[in-house]
Amino acid sequence: MIKLQKVSKYYYLGEEEVKAVCDVSLQIKPKEYVSILGSSGSGKSTLMYLIGLLEHPTSGKILLDGKDVSKLSDEELSHIRNSYVGFVFQSFNLINRFSVLENVLLPVKYTKGNIDFNPQERADNLLKKFGIYDRKDFFPNKISGGQQQRVAIVRALMMKPKIILADEPTGNLDSKTGDEILDIMESLNKDFGVTVILVTHEKLVADRTNRKIYIKDGKISDKYL
Amino acid sequence: MIKGNGISHLFKAALTDFKRNKLRTILTSLGIMIGVLSVVMLIALGLGLKNYIQEQFEGLGANLIIIMPGAGFGGDGGGFGPAGIISGTEFDEKDVNNLKRISEIKYAVPLVFQSTNVESGANKESSYIMGVNEDYFDLMNAEAAEGALFTKTEAQSRTKIAVLGYTIAEKLFEVPDNAIGKTIRFENQRFKVIGVIEKTGDNEQDRSIIIPYKSTFGSINPDKTFWSIYLGVESEDNVEMAKQKAEDTLLKRYGEDDFSVTEQSEILSTIDQIFAVINGFLIAIGSISLIVGGIGIMNIMFASVTERTKEIGIRRAVGATEKDILYQFLTESVMLSAFGGIVGLLLSIVIVLIIRRFFPASINALAVILALGISSAIGIFFGVFPARRASKLPPIEAIRYE
Repeated sequence: MIKLQKVSKYYYLGEEEVKAVCDVSLQIKPKEYVSILGSSGSGKSTLMYLIGLLEHPTSGKILLDGKDVSKLSDEELSHIRNSYVGFVFQSFNLINRFSVLENVLLPVKYTKGNIDFNPQERADNLLKKFGIYDRKDFFPNKISGGQQQRVAIVRALMMKPKIILADEPTGNLDSKTGDEILDIMESLNKDFGVTVILVTHEKLVADRTNRKIYIKDGKISDKYL
Repeated sequence: MIKGNGISHLFKAALTDFKRNKLRTILTSLGIMIGVLSVVMLIALGLGLKNYIQEQFEGLGANLIIIMPGAGFGGDGGGFGPAGIISGTEFDEKDVNNLKRISEIKYAVPLVFQSTNVESGANKESSYIMGVNEDYFDLMNAEAAEGALFTKTEAQSRTKIAVLGYTIAEKLFEVPDNAIGKTIRFENQRFKVIGVIEKTGDNEQDRSIIIPYKSTFGSINPDKTFWSIYLGVESEDNVEMAKQKAEDTLLKRYGEDDFSVTEQSEILSTIDQIFAVINGFLIAIGSISLIVGGIGIMNIMFASVTERTKEIGIRRAVGATEKDILYQFLTESVMLSAFGGIVGLLLSIVIVLIIRRFFPASINALAVILALGISSAIGIFFGVFPARRASKLPPIEAIRYE
């Protein structure tokens, strides 16, 4: 489903070249539940954003369902992100000026194709499913962190994506709430049949996934150090 | 591209944002509002001034030819040359008589013109002396409101009699009827009022004291010369011919550059030309404030882009293209300036309606189109830079921005 072939991503910090991701090749199969495990600065987030098509690789190929997407235009990439990928972030990343419902409906505004569902109904159903329907008219800063992350998950699910990319989704939460979010992640994979890629630095979190990809200094490594 | 309903969705989103930030919205569009207000007002006043001056000249009656010393109106320069009125020759009675002999010319009126202070009893007013002959009243279509106008015999006889403009009669005697038979004093001379002419609407005319030109000979006009000669032509078809003949007549005594013969339509077209320049100039001045307003919008939009960097990142992550972001910010800046433009336009319409009571200011289609067109254009022009910056933000950096 997702295939990375010798993908590298370099940044420039002033004059200095930073090799965030270096010659990474990996493959993720449909409906997999995997984690990308690495310490801070290991390049795991960059790797996730490359998979999520928010970053262009400096070199190498990214194949999505066998199609090379590393050379697509901004328009095509945005369209794929909209319909194919859902993001969940450490800091929730909801828009505070918008209500919960408006946040959840945001991806619908950017869809270019036809959608086979009623956005309002789907939003309501998902909000109910994750127990935050009664918060739908609240603004994000008026609800708890766990609730905000659920809203973010509903937003990520809105367009019926094939992949959910979660970047330290429990990082800003206490352990109990974090566990609940991880339960949801697991059910996304099991019940919704979505590929879930979990990026984390916590081995305990990664242990809950079916497969772990270790990353160190921008390279795939055999084990977590 | 954006979806079919994209435009209305963009407008709605921008409107919702404006509602959340009412004060900022109003302050931001204030610059454009003032800019549009000043442009429209300056155009309205420029047009008003032009209308006013045109009315004054049209009030002189059609088929009028004005002879002035020097280049006068029009001429090659197409303006009131500074040398024109001052230099050149001065005309005398012989010229008037020569011009009167031209068959196409019905009236020939010598004009002695001077500003003065007039007194009656304890009242003192500033006024104008107009020394003319009896044809003047026919030429100007002036009728007596009270009393009588002077006749040919009286005009030729140096009699110290005067016909007052309506306004000056009111100022001096409260009721114009009271003026008849009274004595007024100006330039150390006493004149008896024999009539008051009807109000013309021309301020200068209504404040004038009209006296027989011969009575100015002496201390007022020792050289017995005229400032100008007005000619009235019987029919419009003969104006060109009469003008030509008048020129030929005067050339016998004066050089080509010493005088000018101008018909009214030429004066009107000269006024048109002058005001085209003045209006252009006024628009240019008003546009400065429009540009300043545009820069204000750009400033706020840049601030708004920075403030919403994270939001831009989030939108990009859920599928917004660079264009979507560009249009989002562009819509906001265009709406801000269009809003300012519309409010500025409405305000100026209200102001123009109020000042119309005193002054013939007017708003034309050009002003409306200019106001709305320019304000939208400014919204686009000054909105493009912030919107481009927003759309070109790398999504990752935007999302991580705190």
